[in-house]
Amino acid sequence: MTRRHSRRTIMAGAAATAALGMTGCLQNPDQSGGSGGGGGEKYTPGDTPGPGSVSILGAFGGQEQEAFLASLEAFEADSGITIQYTPDSDFTNTIQQRAGAGDAPDIALFPQPGGMFDLAGKGMLTPIDVFLDYDQLNSTLIPGFLDSARLQGRVYGAPMRMACKSLIWYPKKAYEEGGYATEPATMQELYEITDQMKADGIAPWSDGWGSDQATGWVGTDWIEEFMLRVHGPVVYDDWTKHRLPFNAPEVVEVFDIVGELLKGEGNVLGGTNAIINTPFSEAPLPLFGEPPQAMLVRQGNFVTGFFPEDVVANMDEEVGVYAMPTWEGGFDGQPILGGGDLATLFTLNDDTVKVMEFLTSDAFGAEWAEAGGWLSPHRTFDPEQYSDSITRQVAEIAAGAAVFRYDGSDLMPTAVGAGSFWKGMVEWLQGAKTSQEVCDEIEAGWPK
Amino acid sequence: MAEVTTTTPTRQGSDGAAPLELNKHKGSPARPVRVIVGAVGMAVTAWFVCNAFLAFAYYPGMFANSGILIGILGLVVGIGGSVLFFYFLNLCIEGFPTRFAEGLIPYAFLLPGFSLIALFLLYPTVQTIVYSFANDNSTAWVGLDNYTAIFSTGHFWSTLLNNLLWILIVPVLSVAFGLAVAVLADKLSPAGENAAKSMIFLPMAISFVGAATIWGLVYAYNSPGETQTGLLNAIVTTLGGDPQPWYQIDAARLNSLALMVILIWLQTGFAMVLISSAIKGVPEDTIEAGRMDGATEVRIFWQIVFPQVRATLLAVLITVLILVLKVFDLIYVTTNGLYNSDVIANLFFRKLFTDQQAGQASAIVVVLLILVIPILIYQVKSFRDQEANR
Repeated sequence: MTRRHSRRTIMAGAAATAALGMTGCLQNPDQSGGSGGGGGEKYTPGDTPGPGSVSILGAFGGQEQEAFLASLEAFEADSGITIQYTPDSDFTNTIQQRAGAGDAPDIALFPQPGGMFDLAGKGMLTPIDVFLDYDQLNSTLIPGFLDSARLQGRVYGAPMRMACKSLIWYPKKAYEEGGYATEPATMQELYEITDQMKADGIAPWSDGWGSDQATGWVGTDWIEEFMLRVHGPVVYDDWTKHRLPFNAPEVVEVFDIVGELLKGEGNVLGGTNAIINTPFSEAPLPLFGEPPQAMLVRQGNFVTGFFPEDVVANMDEEVGVYAMPTWEGGFDGQPILGGGDLATLFTLNDDTVKVMEFLTSDAFGAEWAEAGGWLSPHRTFDPEQYSDSITRQVAEIAAGAAVFRYDGSDLMPTAVGAGSFWKGMVEWLQGAKTSQEVCDEIEAGWPK
Repeated sequence: MAEVTTTTPTRQGSDGAAPLELNKHKGSPARPVRVIVGAVGMAVTAWFVCNAFLAFAYYPGMFANSGILIGILGLVVGIGGSVLFFYFLNLCIEGFPTRFAEGLIPYAFLLPGFSLIALFLLYPTVQTIVYSFANDNSTAWVGLDNYTAIFSTGHFWSTLLNNLLWILIVPVLSVAFGLAVAVLADKLSPAGENAAKSMIFLPMAISFVGAATIWGLVYAYNSPGETQTGLLNAIVTTLGGDPQPWYQIDAARLNSLALMVILIWLQTGFAMVLISSAIKGVPEDTIEAGRMDGATEVRIFWQIVFPQVRATLLAVLITVLILVLKVFDLIYVTTNGLYNSDVIANLFFRKLFTDQQAGQASAIVVVLLILVIPILIYQVKSFRDQEANR
């Protein structure tokens, strides 16, 4: 028996020696992901020739993927670069996993800057000033956009799509028939309109939070909208940057205000169970039923992509939209909550730089604009390229905002912004936890 | 190599001087040149193959960026390298005195497999245990903080309770249904048996995510008053009840039970196939003997068939049990652990990738590992007992 054991020890020792021997092998020259990290110098074309193909990982699939690929076709033909786009509905986790395993794509399109900051902090991303003309880019973008992608003085991502969230959609014909006002100046005025709807026997709001494992993000938007309106952008920034604790009285107050709206008897079609179980993409459907079952949906501009086909075909006559109004007694100016997909670079070479230059320019997106559901983050994007006047209207709302703020949950660390905040919203809406309990829990889980 | 040439003559000299020892062992003496050439050959081959593959990955430019060329070279280097490695390994071992070499050869040929297991299984296991005592990005020691953190949250205990329920319910029901189907199908005509077994086996071919989508149509919820797209709610409303959001009902862990049904549906086929073949293997004469003695069919089943398929039942039970401990996809795509339906694997995934807390995630896996160990020991032990009884 002892002899067997000693042999086993020998075998284990041999295996360990073999493993040690392998440390003498080559090291990956691209370990840090190109010249990523803080000390990157200006890239000059020709430094690293490209392999002719560029891999992109993003979160969107389906129709959005088709439109994205269509917008790239002409560029691919001109430049001779093949672009391989991989959609992943669980992008937040996948990118962390792949980057951590040394299998990062060349370019990643982050729907949330939170995860981007994690990777930028690890030195895996190349700051955009290394390979893009920062000042030129900043001059055409909607102000404040690049600031949201800044970490310790350097910007790591450039937007290739804008989402404008503070929008309230309504079925134009039914809404006008009902004689409801289309330009409420404050949320309180809007509440009067919704009371009128309830008196007319129709549920004012339709809402859907369902989004598979990401269920709850729609709820975080509600909280952010009201944080921005009730307490203004200064408190909002403090909150998203965690200078204000998550369980501060201001935040709990906003949870209660949103709760009155969403949980209020008869306010939302089907009540809280319907909100949790309806996929966000299906929330607008009751607006276009015969007769409409609800009148209002608060959702970002991308939701038009989920409207029924006959409505999309006749968008300008069927659909109306206005900005979510301000809060009386809160912040005075019209705030707009938005977001954007940030294009970030892992692998620095001629081809990836060319793709990044194109993606982040105002020349990108004509085909996507035509397909609908997409907004350019550039003020200089020709609005005539949008397929309908609704989208032009949304672009105007976004460009004319008094304050533009990035989606707060996207700015928070992944653990909160794509974890406890989402989860907390569902538990709160369900009534399993009170506003205070949920806020305390999220605060306790905030990464130290 | 200089060292080799200097040592060789002296050794050979000493071998020649000890013919008595040689006779006693009845085999060839040690041949150090072979040992050393073999060892050096193995090291060089391994080094060359590793570097060749790293070069494929890091410097595709050296191979004209051609995927086909790299593929062919990979095949040549991979297969040729293995052949060469075993040649040198054999050479090295043959260099030892015969008796020692004979004892060593089986181990030597196990070496590649064992090193792979060590590299991909033992090393990560040890590393995970080590990381469970480190902080969120595994850079500093925190002692038992991770364990205190996970054990002090109610969520972890609720997750453990769920896992316990999964362990208690799913394997037993899968095996019970599998056994029932196998026994009943055995009584059918051959065509009927095939058709019945195929139907039951069909879900085995469906992925967990696919199954979750299919069962989504059963558990779907629409507001009261609307047309119910979910089968279960359609039945409930037809009978005059109110539609229920099934995945959200954590009273009596109803949502977990609803999810378990999916897994049982998937695994019954697996249990049935194995148990059915075991039943077919029961010797006909034992059953005949029972019939001759006038035993009822029920008694024949419980006293003659069942004891003879018991071992298979146990094997299936443990296989399903281990699968249940790892269950993740089903929960991830349906509730993602909300409404008290979390399980350990999903909690681990969220801790590691969403919360980025590698320390706590490792601690959770270590707890899972500790839970699995008794089952593994039991399985190995019962396997040994079976072997001994043969």
